[in-house]
Amino acid sequence: MADDDLSRNEHIKQASAYLRGTLAEGLKDGVTGAIAEDDQQLVKFHGMYMQDDRDLRPERSRKKMEKAFSFMIRVRMPGGVVTPQQWLALDHVARTYGNGTMRLTTRQTVQLHGIIKSNLKAMMREIDKVLLDSIAACGDVNRNVMSNPNPYQSRAHAEAIELARTISAHLTPKTPAYREIWLDGEKIAGGEDNVVEPIYGKTYLPRKFKTVIAVPPSNDVDIFAHDLGYIAILDGAGDVTGWNITIGGGMGMTHGETDTYPRTADLLGFIGTGDALKVAEAVVTTQRDWGDRKNRKHARLKYTIEDRGLDAFRAEVEKRAGLKFEAPKPFKFTSTGDRYGWTQGDNGNGHLTLFVQNGRVADLAGAAQMSALRRIAEIQDDVPGGDFRVTANQNIIIANVPTAQQAAIEAIAREAGLLAPWSGLRRNSMACVALPTCGLALAESERYLPSLIDALDVSLGKHGLSADDIVIRMTGCPNGCARPYLAEIGLVGKGPERYNLYLGAAFDGSRLSKLYMSDVNHDGIVAALDPLFSAYASQRDKGERFGDFVIRAGFVAKTGNGADFHANTGALKDKTAA
Amino acid sequence: MSSIYATIPKTAPFSEEDVALLNRVVGPASPVQRAWLAGFLAGVESVQGAALGAQPAAPARPAEPITIVYASESGNSEKLASDFAKSARKNGLKPTLIDMADLEPSNLTAAKKLIFIAATWGEGEPPARAVRTYGELMADNAPRLDGVEFGVLALGDTAYAEFCAIGKAIDARLESLGAKRVVDRVDCDLDFAVPAETWIGNAVKKLAPEDADRGRVIAVDFGAKEGAKPAGSPNTDIVEAEVTELINLNSSRSDKETYHLALSFDGHAPEYKPGDSLDLYAENDPAYVDELLKLAGLSSDAKLRDELIRTRDVTTLSLKSVETYATQTGHTYVRRLLDDGEAKAWIVDRQLIDLIAEFPTAVTAETLRALTRPLAPRAYSIASSRSEVADEAHLLISAVRYRSNGRNRQGVASNYVAGRVKRGAKVRVKLKPNKHFGLPAADKDIIMVGPGTGVAPFRAFVQERRATQAAGKSWLFFGDRQFTHDFLYQLEWQDALNDGSLTRLDVAFSRDTPEKVYVQNRLLERRKELVEWLDNGAYFYVCGDAKNMAKDVRAALVSAYADVKSLSPEDAERAVAALERDKRYLTDTY
Ligand code: SRM
Ligand SMILES: Cc1cc2nc3c(=O)[nH]c(=O)nc-3n(C[C@H](O)[C@H](O)[C@H](O)COP(=O)(O)OP(=O)(O)OC[C@H]3O[C@@H](n4cnc5c(N)ncnc54)[C@H](O)[C@@H]3O)c2cc1C
Ligand SMILES: Cc1cc2nc3c(=O)[nH]c(=O)nc-3n(C[C@H](O)[C@H](O)[C@H](O)COP(=O)(O)O)c2cc1C
Ligand code: SF4
Repeated sequence: MADDDLSRNEHIKQASAYLRGTLAEGLKDGVTGAIAEDDQQLVKFHGMYMQDDRDLRPERSRKKMEKAFSFMIRVRMPGGVVTPQQWLALDHVARTYGNGTMRLTTRQTVQLHGIIKSNLKAMMREIDKVLLDSIAACGDVNRNVMSNPNPYQSRAHAEAIELARTISAHLTPKTPAYREIWLDGEKIAGGEDNVVEPIYGKTYLPRKFKTVIAVPPSNDVDIFAHDLGYIAILDGAGDVTGWNITIGGGMGMTHGETDTYPRTADLLGFIGTGDALKVAEAVVTTQRDWGDRKNRKHARLKYTIEDRGLDAFRAEVEKRAGLKFEAPKPFKFTSTGDRYGWTQGDNGNGHLTLFVQNGRVADLAGAAQMSALRRIAEIQDDVPGGDFRVTANQNIIIANVPTAQQAAIEAIAREAGLLAPWSGLRRNSMACVALPTCGLALAESERYLPSLIDALDVSLGKHGLSADDIVIRMTGCPNGCARPYLAEIGLVGKGPERYNLYLGAAFDGSRLSKLYMSDVNHDGIVAALDPLFSAYASQRDKGERFGDFVIRAGFVAKTGNGADFHANTGALKDKTAA
Repeated sequence: MSSIYATIPKTAPFSEEDVALLNRVVGPASPVQRAWLAGFLAGVESVQGAALGAQPAAPARPAEPITIVYASESGNSEKLASDFAKSARKNGLKPTLIDMADLEPSNLTAAKKLIFIAATWGEGEPPARAVRTYGELMADNAPRLDGVEFGVLALGDTAYAEFCAIGKAIDARLESLGAKRVVDRVDCDLDFAVPAETWIGNAVKKLAPEDADRGRVIAVDFGAKEGAKPAGSPNTDIVEAEVTELINLNSSRSDKETYHLALSFDGHAPEYKPGDSLDLYAENDPAYVDELLKLAGLSSDAKLRDELIRTRDVTTLSLKSVETYATQTGHTYVRRLLDDGEAKAWIVDRQLIDLIAEFPTAVTAETLRALTRPLAPRAYSIASSRSEVADEAHLLISAVRYRSNGRNRQGVASNYVAGRVKRGAKVRVKLKPNKHFGLPAADKDIIMVGPGTGVAPFRAFVQERRATQAAGKSWLFFGDRQFTHDFLYQLEWQDALNDGSLTRLDVAFSRDTPEKVYVQNRLLERRKELVEWLDNGAYFYVCGDAKNMAKDVRAALVSAYADVKSLSPEDAERAVAALERDKRYLTDTY
């Protein structure tokens, strides 16, 4: 491929000397809060994004100040697990260097926002002290590996998280640049040498790469939304006999560009437990070599699969991994949501799942949730396995709470509103970050969804649906960070206060939704959904999910695995006819 | 004053005819005409005087020498000292003007007649430049001054607890050193023009040679009256300017407000130089005045209201005003406050409004006038260079707001700008030249330390050096609270670094990190380069807060020398003192 066809990022990676670029120099410049343009791409591989406070944009140049630049740090935490001690460290840096909040993400990590350049190294040193890092949390590499976060419920979950850690460790970039730049580590001589990245090489992957592990019946990790997935196949005794492999899932698309689309992953086949890591590496290296490095909007694995075909890709992976896939084994998912409240682990301890609205951990008037979680972490600090676990739904699990401490911890959580009895819609809701930090946001999301749900709850209440589980997700742009195309009700930002409304995804995360209405505002959304709720309440079959109902009742067409996502969109029948 | 005072004596160094001729003009001349003439001649003289050196203007016979020392920061005492010199010269004396900064106390023993005009700064401290000499004068080994005749004029501000402390101290010290007080000290408040003029008149009269009427020539106000300034010096009259820009430079998330104020003069911008300041004539907050009038029971007096808003200092509470209040209202509690000696402590952090609010009684318009002094202008460093902004002048003004004794307080001038002045409005300003804070030769390097509003004059420096393509390097130390919300003129500094008019910029933001970082910390971090620059002849400038910053910066520089050159603390101190003597360590602090 002629070099000049390559996308800009490919040149940046190539010239970066394994992700060093001019970051070290840039950090020393105290006159600007920004870093060099190319370094802004490289710093993602280190787990950071340079952002600016978009709320402040209008006033900055008038006040003779540059944009209000700051950095977002995304911590790498396979399976979403952190120790109480690590949680306390994150809480501390968030309050000392960040914007005073923590953000639980849809991929089981914690993001800290608002850290100015001059504080980056100090904060990186603090999280390093508790053995946390952010390398490869972003960038064209294998990202944080997700896994159902409650391993203590069965040995299967234990194996899942174990696999998540193994894959994460194996696919983490080996470049010493991270320690050099952030922790003043020794500059390793011969950093140019290719052996630095045995798996990735100098230019890493064409695009981000995401791996998840699910343990049926829970599909909380949304397995079909990711590049590579492992579905645990259990025997009668609850032991993992092997994994069904899924590949080619992804959400991101661009408004008005129909050759970009969300895609649900395909089943590649079944493998035994011993081959899991080999397959991960083979899939990654195949995508490394086959993926599109010219057009970043066409560089994800999902497009490679579409272009080359599933069989060709399977053959190549079998060749590289030196194995043959068996036919996928049967499995069944029931939902993508979390189970709130207490569950008893087979070791006698309790696990408490708390609802954190849109993952934003903060101390707000009347709901001091950040302080509450801090106090809980202090109580759990000395408990073996007393982890904090971020779920794929932006919630948090307090794991292994000894019976003796359960009452105290529940009281703290309840007082902070982390256990409130939410409506069926709210407890199944997610919103991406969007404004004011996300540079790509076209509309509000995290700051808006709660009030939209207030309005929808009124309408649901009217139809007696307040307690029904209905999945709603919102994003501020079509990138799909909250996996909106896999929500029964999906809202995707189009412009200020304007959203596209998607309907008809499957409750278990196996089917994408379809565009129902474009450019609707708040009132438009409420008005569009009310008649559907009313119809659902009166006409649904027993146990029928809202996402399935709107298709059966003929409100919206069904979407296949993605290529047909943009086909026959829109409302199929006049809403009032419902 | 009757005209005989103005007739030219026969002893004047003129021919008979000339004397007659002059008397024909001067005799019937109005006071103003005489004042002008005197000022004019003095002006011309003071310019040529230098050239003529020792040559006295007036008398033929050798004039008696008189030494006039001034301790000045913002130039008032300095100006009065030169007024004194002019008047003295015209009256047969041979004045030597000297800045206390340059004075060697040992030389005073030779003086026959000695005048000190001294201002007080900080919290009862000497003006920065005078600190060293002042220390020597107060030291045990200070020279005896037996037989020296002296007089002291003290400048100050009754708003400060230590009113005229330095003038008072010098006055007492000279006496204790054996000198003879021939003129009684006068302590001037901010409205010093008239009392100072009178004092100078009397002092000259006392000290001038006895013969003839000369000693009785009245001293003249050499102040800002038209024509009174030496030829070629800039216009220091009060002028009107239009507010063309008014921007709060702090982000809306900042807990501070610092205003960039652009003034336009349609053609007659004062000929200021980088380092000069402007005196701003502000108006009081009408809401405050209304509350004051309400408490005094004078709400109906519209004329008084207008007068107070525009011309009186209605916020300052001094012992003097408490005394006046007690006397004129006969308020027994206030009287007791004074008698019990508690008044001085009570007025701290209080304003006139507290006095009337806490000791209410019917107050007449007259009393209220007597309780207030004329509203003094506020000085602001000019933040622009005419070579870049032509007919404009820019100021950088921080809104002073605080709470004390249960009331929210607002600085008069800064909040006049922050709250009451709008774009397009006219404001009155007056140039306040500062000879002691200008740029060095274009090839000299400069180090500028200006946190907060202290950065204002350095914006002028950098603009000037850009316009003149100066060869010297320039290094700025800036600091404030938060990088993101308080980085004043950030984009301009970035441009200056790009176009080379600024060589280096180090910043210190105190509220971004758990441990506070200030400019003095940065100075220490960079001590090696810092001392290198100074060894290469760089000039060191400090502007801004006098209370802490200026002192801490100086201390930092001393330890920088000590560390880099491994000097003893004493020698390091001497190294910095030497810079001050060479006029390479220059301050403009407030
Ligand atoms: C925090 C998070 C959303 C949340 O509310 O939790 C998030 C936030 C951002 N995502 Fe995302 N993404 C997050 C999960 C996702 C997911 C969901 C998932 O992976 O399960 C997706 C859809 C799945 C996929 O990858 O297709 C997702 C698809 C994107 C895309 C589109 C990628 C694509 O290939 O189409 C972008 C834009 C890009 O990469 O160019 C993006 C970019 C971003 C950035 C970094 C914006 C940017 O590039 O400047 C957002 C930072 C906003 C902020 O201020 O924090 N984010 N992003 C999630 C962090 C995950 C993590 O901890 O690693
Ligand atoms: C040579 C020179 C240059 C200057 N340059 C600038 C400049 O460039 N920019 C600038 O902003 N200022 C500058 N100043 C200061 C400026 O002149 C004024 O003093 C300042 O703006 C306050 O004036 P004001 O009328 O607003 O407040 P005022 O009405 O004069 O009130 C100020 C007084 O309030 C009291 N006070 C203030 N804060 C507190 C507190 N926290 N607690 C208790 N009492 C308090 C003090 O007594 C203080 O003297 C300069 C001063 C000088 C002498
Ligand atoms: C920051 C500052 C501090 C001052 N401190 C005092 C003081 O403590 N006592 C006093 O009597 N006058 C004080 N003054 C008033 C000055 O002495 C007064 O303005 C005087 O006219 C200045 O004279 P100069 O221009 O010769 O320095 C202070 C003025 C300023 C601006
Ligand atoms: S979906 Fe778009 S707006 Fe939301 S966080 Fe992702 S990139 Fe930003």
